[in-house]
Amino acid sequence: MNNFFLELTIALLFGIGTFLVLRRDMMKVIIGFGIISHAINLYIVGGGVFTNGTLVPILEHEQAVEGLGQGLIYNDNLTAGILGPITTNPYTEFVDPLVQALVLTAIVIGLATTAFVLTLCYRVNEEYGTIDVQELRRLRE
Amino acid sequence: MSFLMDNLPMFLIAIPLLMAPVTILTKGNPGLQKAIDIVVGFVLLCLSVLLITTVWNNGIIAYDVGEFGKYGIVLVADLLSAGMVLLNCSIGFLGLIYSYDYIEDHSLNQTYHTLYNLMLAGINGIFLTGDIFNMFVFFEIMLLSSAALIVANETSKVTKISDKMEATMKYLVLNILGGNVMLIAVTSLYASIGSLNIADITLKIRMLAETGAVPWHLYAVGLLFIIVFGGKAAMFPLHYWLPDVHPTAPSPISAMLSGVIIKIGAYGILRVLFMMFAPFQAVYGPVILFTALVTLALGATSAVGQSDVKRMLAYSSVSQIGYIFLGFGMAAMANVAGETEAATLILAASVVYMINHALAKSMLFLTSGGIIHTADTRDMRQMGGMINKAPMMGAAFLVGAMSIGGVPPMGGFISKFMLFDAGLRAQFYLPIGIALIFAIFTLFYMFRGWMLIFWGERDAQYGEYSHHKLSPLIVVPILLLAAVVLIVGLYPEPVVQFSQTIASQIIDPQPYIDEVMVRVIR
Repeated sequence: MNNFFLELTIALLFGIGTFLVLRRDMMKVIIGFGIISHAINLYIVGGGVFTNGTLVPILEHEQAVEGLGQGLIYNDNLTAGILGPITTNPYTEFVDPLVQALVLTAIVIGLATTAFVLTLCYRVNEEYGTIDVQELRRLRE
Repeated sequence: MSFLMDNLPMFLIAIPLLMAPVTILTKGNPGLQKAIDIVVGFVLLCLSVLLITTVWNNGIIAYDVGEFGKYGIVLVADLLSAGMVLLNCSIGFLGLIYSYDYIEDHSLNQTYHTLYNLMLAGINGIFLTGDIFNMFVFFEIMLLSSAALIVANETSKVTKISDKMEATMKYLVLNILGGNVMLIAVTSLYASIGSLNIADITLKIRMLAETGAVPWHLYAVGLLFIIVFGGKAAMFPLHYWLPDVHPTAPSPISAMLSGVIIKIGAYGILRVLFMMFAPFQAVYGPVILFTALVTLALGATSAVGQSDVKRMLAYSSVSQIGYIFLGFGMAAMANVAGETEAATLILAASVVYMINHALAKSMLFLTSGGIIHTADTRDMRQMGGMINKAPMMGAAFLVGAMSIGGVPPMGGFISKFMLFDAGLRAQFYLPIGIALIFAIFTLFYMFRGWMLIFWGERDAQYGEYSHHKLSPLIVVPILLLAAVVLIVGLYPEPVVQFSQTIASQIIDPQPYIDEVMVRVIR
């Protein structure tokens, strides 16, 4: 991950998200969580770009067998200091498909949690008539 | 039969996961729904017993879900995972029986069964998975289903629905944050190590440490994991959600939360501290030890002043988690000092502690449900003299109180004795001294609670106790758990031997790694 603007975006999103999570309004807290989870999604995708020769771990069977002849190493050889999967071929840039699968999962989970929290927030508003966290504490006592 | 045995770890996750939608489809027929759920619970219990006997006899089971060897998702059942799964399935089954009478019909027939199945699937998945990202996914399944279960209504309207909403909000917000932090940690780990498989990560970090080329940010990543799992287990700076959430949940769910779900945090810490980040034990060991001491002190002192029976039990859970983590911290430090044998002993004691606390605390929470049913309040000051009305609850609460307080012949005594003995042998005099002082606090608050509820007379202004007799659905699970607590105390050898095997497997994870890493891409 060596793209300056990507890093800056992620940092900014984290900052905004954290700021919102620390608000008193429950709605803003939830929006803050949404922004933080998007920052994390960007972070995950950004973690999948390599320029140092780490190879895509998922290949078709034929490619994988073909690749074995072309300097693809899947299994670790710790005595030789090899952490698979790597390639000895002079490829320059790769994108790891696994992180994209991870980010899809993370997005779906984020959707589910956000939906749940929003419903809960609505119910809290129905019960207490407010979603201000400090008001809630006052009402409970 | 061989199909069953070949796919045993998968069944434990897949059955509840697949039955969850089935219980939605049978929503119109509550009887069928209940029957399905009880069968699922029983099958899971049988399968978990089968799993633990298989693992005990034949060694660690690793199960490929995909076809990608270590790059795909691997389910691994070592003795620790299998033991935790057995604990989850048995407490889950008893809690399910209990909730048929305890949960209000409207809540029960809507989504309770679905969510309960999802929760069991999530917890089993967390314990069985050998993949750190998959663990995150199961975390979220468990989190959402358990959060929705906390809001379920009891038959006795002791806890206001608004209180439940507020507590659930707290639980969710903190755990969503925890999930986000875990995702950051997993991604950072993947970006620097290139693997999500726990065994693979262990191997690679060990290799990096041996060559002395550990990137500095891995220390931070490990700490993030400790924060996440510590938050799940209510470790000191992140404990404040627990005393709000566990009391407001309906009693069977409180039993699951206190008995099993906070053990997930302890399980995660074991995986982080002794497997994945084992070379960093010298850094993390003292951190865990210190926070554990603060946790147990804070939990015990807070529990003394509580007047709400479930809140007292919740603070007691915080304190007991402190004892478990104290064992982890001491074991890590002993391991760093090269005293592997002492570390194994301490860790075995911690595992015994986990088992005993899970049994006794879930039993106490179920009992507190019976008490609330009879008294129609959660305030212990408004109770008293209940021993005449509900002698069975009194006996069960006494068994639980003795176990948590560490009085022989209950299971809690064995675990406390083993922990203190092993700690003193490894010369941790100061931490054990502090733990001993707060063990006396534990004894005090548990018996204070018991005496407030069961001895004396009830003040006339609070009215009569309910004349309902407790149904067998409520009494039988409590009695079964109480019997187990007593048996573990009277005949602890199997549990102790089992825990020592677990501890040696944790201290030396090589068999685990070998079992997973022989899998090559098919």
